[in-house]
Amino acid sequence: MRIGTLKESYLADAALFDSRTQKAWLLVLAAALVLFPFFAGSYWLYLACLVAINVASASGLNILTGYTGLVSLGQAAFMGLGAYTVAVLEQRLGTPFLLNLLAGGVVAMLGGLVVGIPSLRVKGLYLAIVTIAASFIAHFLFANFQLTGGTAGLAVPPAQFFGVLLDTSFKLYWVIVPVTVLMLVGSANLFRTRIGRAFIAIRDRDISAEVLGIPLLRTKLLSFGLSSFYAGVAGGLWAYFFRVVTPESFPLSMSIFFLAAIIVGGMGTQLGAVLGAIFMTLVPEVLKLIVDVLPGGASLTVFLSPVRTIVFGLLIIGFLVFEPQGLAEVWRRIRRFFHLWPFRT
Amino acid sequence: MDWLTLFEIGLTGLASGGLYALAALAFVMVYKATRVVNLAIGEMLMAGAYLFFTFAAMFALPLWLAIPAAVLAAGVLGGVIERTMIRPLLGEPPISVFMVTIGLGSVLVGLVEVIWSADQRRLPDFLPSDPIMVGEAFLAPKVFWGAVIAAVFIAAVLLVFRFWRGGVALRATAGDQAAAYSVGINVPRVFSLSWVVAAMIAAVSGIVVGSIGGISSAMGVFGLSVLVVVIVGGLDSVLGALVAGLLIGLIEALAGFYLGGEYKLLATFIVLVAVLMLRPYGLFGTHEIERL
Amino acid sequence: MTDRTFTPSQYSARRRSLLIAAGATLAAPLAAHAQAGGEDIVIGGSIPMTGVFAFAGIGIDAGMKDYVKMVNDAGGIKGRKIRYVPEDTGYKVDVSVAAFKKITSQNKVNLYYGDSTGFAKTINPELDRNGNILMAGASFATELNDPKKYPHQFLVGPDYTEMFGILLNHIAKEKPGAKVAFVYSDSEFGRDPIDESEALAKKLGLSVPVKIMTPAGSVDVSTEVIKLRRAAPDYTIFHGYILAPIPEFITQGKQQGMKSKWMGTFWTMDSSTVMKMGEAGDGFMGVMPYRYYYDTEKAPMLEKIRALHADYQSTAYIQGFLAAMLFVESAKRTLDAGKPLTGDNLKTALNSIKDFDTGGLIGVPITISGNSIPVGRVYRADMKAQKMVPASDWIKL
Repeated sequence: MRIGTLKESYLADAALFDSRTQKAWLLVLAAALVLFPFFAGSYWLYLACLVAINVASASGLNILTGYTGLVSLGQAAFMGLGAYTVAVLEQRLGTPFLLNLLAGGVVAMLGGLVVGIPSLRVKGLYLAIVTIAASFIAHFLFANFQLTGGTAGLAVPPAQFFGVLLDTSFKLYWVIVPVTVLMLVGSANLFRTRIGRAFIAIRDRDISAEVLGIPLLRTKLLSFGLSSFYAGVAGGLWAYFFRVVTPESFPLSMSIFFLAAIIVGGMGTQLGAVLGAIFMTLVPEVLKLIVDVLPGGASLTVFLSPVRTIVFGLLIIGFLVFEPQGLAEVWRRIRRFFHLWPFRT
Repeated sequence: MDWLTLFEIGLTGLASGGLYALAALAFVMVYKATRVVNLAIGEMLMAGAYLFFTFAAMFALPLWLAIPAAVLAAGVLGGVIERTMIRPLLGEPPISVFMVTIGLGSVLVGLVEVIWSADQRRLPDFLPSDPIMVGEAFLAPKVFWGAVIAAVFIAAVLLVFRFWRGGVALRATAGDQAAAYSVGINVPRVFSLSWVVAAMIAAVSGIVVGSIGGISSAMGVFGLSVLVVVIVGGLDSVLGALVAGLLIGLIEALAGFYLGGEYKLLATFIVLVAVLMLRPYGLFGTHEIERL
Repeated sequence: MTDRTFTPSQYSARRRSLLIAAGATLAAPLAAHAQAGGEDIVIGGSIPMTGVFAFAGIGIDAGMKDYVKMVNDAGGIKGRKIRYVPEDTGYKVDVSVAAFKKITSQNKVNLYYGDSTGFAKTINPELDRNGNILMAGASFATELNDPKKYPHQFLVGPDYTEMFGILLNHIAKEKPGAKVAFVYSDSEFGRDPIDESEALAKKLGLSVPVKIMTPAGSVDVSTEVIKLRRAAPDYTIFHGYILAPIPEFITQGKQQGMKSKWMGTFWTMDSSTVMKMGEAGDGFMGVMPYRYYYDTEKAPMLEKIRALHADYQSTAYIQGFLAAMLFVESAKRTLDAGKPLTGDNLKTALNSIKDFDTGGLIGVPITISGNSIPVGRVYRADMKAQKMVPASDWIKL
């Protein structure tokens, strides 16, 4: 049972992981992540890569919506910008994939800055609608330009690493997961700095933040830019993973998926973005398993897709009504239980 | 410049704008009373259309029975939604309620697919089908009658808000919930009433839209255009819903005809962004005064 | 508190039964593997049994199941049974891809059926890497009809451009120099054949006065109808839709005095879909590469299908049935030649199909030299009889 965590310096206070048990568990997690691909079947590897991409994108959206309070429904559009950038660069120039991912992030960031410009004039849900508009304008651009291959989209040649083609889930795992971990560490660190605290101040009361001397437009734009950078990199990873990018690949419903993921996970916490993305990506799989196990399952598969839609909606509603702080809060409660055991909370 | 064509297109655009205005009315009704942005408006429209389909085609009820039955059933649905999903979230930040309506939309789509399957269907025709001629210009009858129905409803709602006690109570609740409570207005009842009425209006709108374009589980995307209309008009203005509806309908028709079908949605969204930059609360919306 | 201790005999009895049970469960899969003949030939499927394409998915699934059962009842292919392993995808590409990965990781798959153009394109590199699979699908996209880019895939019929070609050929014969308008949806499905078909129309001496694209999910098409009316075409071809907004177009067009004949492509042409059009659908024409369930011309396979099902089976059913037939034929030819079941060998076997009799499902013997089967017939809707009746001969491109 942990009685207290005593800190003797500011540096220790600002640490991301403070206790020895936490660090130990972190090592266990790292070991598990490294060993996982050697023991998992190809389907589980595929799922793991997909989960990692979603985690990366969700943590980006969390920066914008969870920490800065600017509701955005354009995450999928920024992912699309990143994905198309990677696709075009890989197809035409064949530049190294890390460079492409960065370029994808930068292009998406520029897009995010443009979309963020109305954020000074327009607030709250009106801004959310502007992001929906941006989503549609992006879709229009993807579908009607020769560079992006029109409605047929682009095929992405596989990434190459010193001549090795990264074309299986196993090989891509070693790119996707480290990049995601890097981005998570980055965003966790962001909220130890002045900029991160400025974001939080804006979320709480943006007029007060301005009074305190935080330049509103610049900070909001920075938030948009950062979150769309994350989305762009996630989109680039998506492009290398699925190897085909079409305008239909990044619909509005994908943005809604990410928003739901951070709400279910818990807005404004790093853990929330991770848990939410993992949970929302794996729920359809669990549903499929349940249907397979139930007797008479064959006739039930007809209902699988609409039931998925219903479950998705019910999850959002359920979490908002019963657990507004999301899975992160549930996790914290469990942790508290174990910290204080044998005493009760 | 072919004036006849322009006139024809303009007329068609205005009439289809009337349809938008009707659906926008349902949206504004909810926002005015409860400050909830109902992103599931397209799906509520769809629910109303499918209820009508059930009564008219599956139970084979005569039209004069099927339409009121569908509208009433939709009203009940609206009341249930309000009680179970919106009421518990009173006082939560608006983003939460916004997301709840998104979840609601998903649930409605899934339910429709489970009960009626995702196939496209057609509603039984009940609007008069003689072509409407204005001089030399032709107007599709369904769209015309849809616009007429919309105009009737909008006028009715405007009058209700003005003169009926319930309407005034609605406006009072929208202005200041605490003050409305203290004056003796039954605020929870007003909430329920607004959602019920909004669902009924959405059902009427859904029936009209469905009889024009058929029904399917993907009908809810109509809600996106409606969202644009209410933002342009102002989230809490009935008049704004009407004016913006006509405007957006006109712009869509002109863009579609002169530029091409793919520019329709793009044009409306560009108009949206332009209006928001000039008037961040819409053309007729009330300016929110933020206090520290 | 009574103390229940296990006596040695009880304990060992428990342990014994546990061991036997464990041994049995371990032995069971081993026993299952010992079958006569050889291992099953697996047909995997990403089938859209729910979602917008559910009506097609359910038909395709039923058609494949029935044909596989027929072949298995007759002894399979060289004593090897065929196993059909479908997964529902709801017509979503990511779910389709996930289903593919799941099925191929759990079974040794040699034949696969995909649900959409998007899936076919996305999975292509994976197919080529896998090397053991021949794939067909519900899509008829022109892009897939490229044996160089898609060497392990084929279409179960003509591609969309070929469908347009069949219609345009029919129009050119019926009314040379006619004006043909294209109305299509703003999606990959809709845009696919338009440019090439416009060029083909010009080659056949026809003119295309207007090409109208409707935004996806659009409800009100009045402005498009006005555009169409001004072009005053003799024929209007709809593509990229299933049902909506075609009846609206036809109704409004007729109200405005248009004299055009109305035509559609494969996905609109299922009998039940056309019948839903009501009055507007009378005389609606389109291209269909298969016979309809109720066609009265001599077709032994159709009779077998009618014996299996007393109720109407959709054209999607026939597509699934035919796909399974072509799968089985490719597998048979590969095994007859003594070659292993790889993607390349199966494709070569498929391309060796010349003047093959599908048992009447397609009205003429077919040859698959590339990735598609460019054969079809124009049918016309007879609302009174509630049937689709042939309006032309079988046209081979």
